[in-house]
Amino acid sequence: MRLACAIATGAGEMMDQRDNWHLTDMVEHESGRGDPFAAAVRATRMPMIITDPRQDDNPIVFCNEAFQTLSGYDRSEIIGTNCRFLQGPDTDREKVAEVRAAIEAGTDVAVDLLNYRKDGSTFWNALYVSPVRNRDGEIEFFFASQMDVSDRVEAQERIARQKAEVEREVEARTADLKAALDDKTLLLHEVDHRVKNNLTMIGSLLRLQARGISDEDILARLNSMLERIDALASVHRRLYQSDDVTRFDAGAFALNLATDVVGASGRTEIDVKSDVAAIDISSTNASALGLVLNEIVTNAVKHGFADGRGGTLSVHAYADGDTGVIAIADDGPGFDAANTPEDGLGRVLIRRLSRQIGAQVDWSSAEPGARVTIRFPLDQGHVGAVA
Amino acid sequence: MIRLKRPFRVLIVEDEALLAMDIEALVEDAGHTVVGEAASLHEVEALGIEAAPDLAFVDLQLAHDTNGLDAARLIHARWAQAAVIFVTANPKKIPEDFAGAHGVIPKPFSRAGLTAALRYIEEGLSDPPPTSPIPASFIASPAFAATWDA
Repeated sequence: MRLACAIATGAGEMMDQRDNWHLTDMVEHESGRGDPFAAAVRATRMPMIITDPRQDDNPIVFCNEAFQTLSGYDRSEIIGTNCRFLQGPDTDREKVAEVRAAIEAGTDVAVDLLNYRKDGSTFWNALYVSPVRNRDGEIEFFFASQMDVSDRVEAQERIARQKAEVEREVEARTADLKAALDDKTLLLHEVDHRVKNNLTMIGSLLRLQARGISDEDILARLNSMLERIDALASVHRRLYQSDDVTRFDAGAFALNLATDVVGASGRTEIDVKSDVAAIDISSTNASALGLVLNEIVTNAVKHGFADGRGGTLSVHAYADGDTGVIAIADDGPGFDAANTPEDGLGRVLIRRLSRQIGAQVDWSSAEPGARVTIRFPLDQGHVGAVA
Repeated sequence: MIRLKRPFRVLIVEDEALLAMDIEALVEDAGHTVVGEAASLHEVEALGIEAAPDLAFVDLQLAHDTNGLDAARLIHARWAQAAVIFVTANPKKIPEDFAGAHGVIPKPFSRAGLTAALRYIEEGLSDPPPTSPIPASFIASPAFAATWDA
């Protein structure tokens, strides 16, 4: 029996076979003499060894040329030693234990091991060890093939390192962003609180100032200022109570404002009727639009319902394509020159602030009463529900 | 349930002098009497017996790192019949049971808002249930509403 038969069939006369290893050492494959399977094993580029577990310390009894080339050792240095000479300080002990356990259990094992050449350099060895059994099932030899897979392992390690690095960076960045968001939220709450306190103090100052004033005209102007500050406070409240401080629902605000102004006037004889859809605008325009609406609504309450007359103030808000429309109508004496804001500042505020946000304000007859319609451009993609 | 008689004796607990002055003026405009002012929990402790209030307006954030929730508890402990109304820019910080208070007026408030809230509270304390609709400027505690729902 020859080597190849032992590997392929595990059969044969065992003692003869063991001796045959030495016989086949002489086989020269180029000449085609001897056992062609043994010749193939000797000549293949795949490094291979065979060990004898019946001898003390399971020594290597055969190694081919490719194994000598890979390890850098001569056959004379290899034969008779246990193959642990390939191990070094950085060889993974757990993997070695895995191989040992498989050999003891008589099973196959495939592991990647960091091995050392004679010159001390290292290579990644894809080791495959399998037992060769005789017909009685006893283990006769271990056959081991090696392959230098340093390139593959290093590439894998590089990828793993890069992946870990990227993950570390993402984690650090996420932590930074989270901290920045927490800071921002804290700052926003602090600023919100201060703005509210300041608005409250401004209101208090004006009210305290108004107390000593007997001149009706000056008092009326001061009260107009108070209403404007209240309107700004409403805008602020609405913005900071919403989930998104960058957006502002002008429709809901218009109704809110009308209800507040009528409520603040103490005029219970005025009803507020509404047909209001959400009109989503940028919060940068919220204060200006809020002040314009405040002038329109306070003016309607003063003139549309003068002399204690009761009636209905209607608020209609909707989005018309890329235009927001808010109409405030009373059912009073109707539109005439006296029905536009007589307070000079009120008129100026409406004109200048509506220009600032690209809005157009029209006074018309509501028959009965007067209607003020304000149209303003909506930025695309943020139009709310259309009425 | 003891029905309160007008005018009410009112305590104002507020650390911002301007707001205290403003609330005092609005309370007196409504025909009530301000019997005491305090800017911190310590000043509530120091109030004399002559300051016994029917109604107290209490800010949540008070001077010297004290807070209105403790002040409300102290007021209730000293004057069991006193109704407490929080006046705050931070209504979210008020616990679900309102710490025994009757309600909250959110800041910033307007004259009309505070006056309307005061009118509603008057009706609720003197002649419940209130006939005025509850104003947007006032949030009644469940316990306050329960006093006339029962």
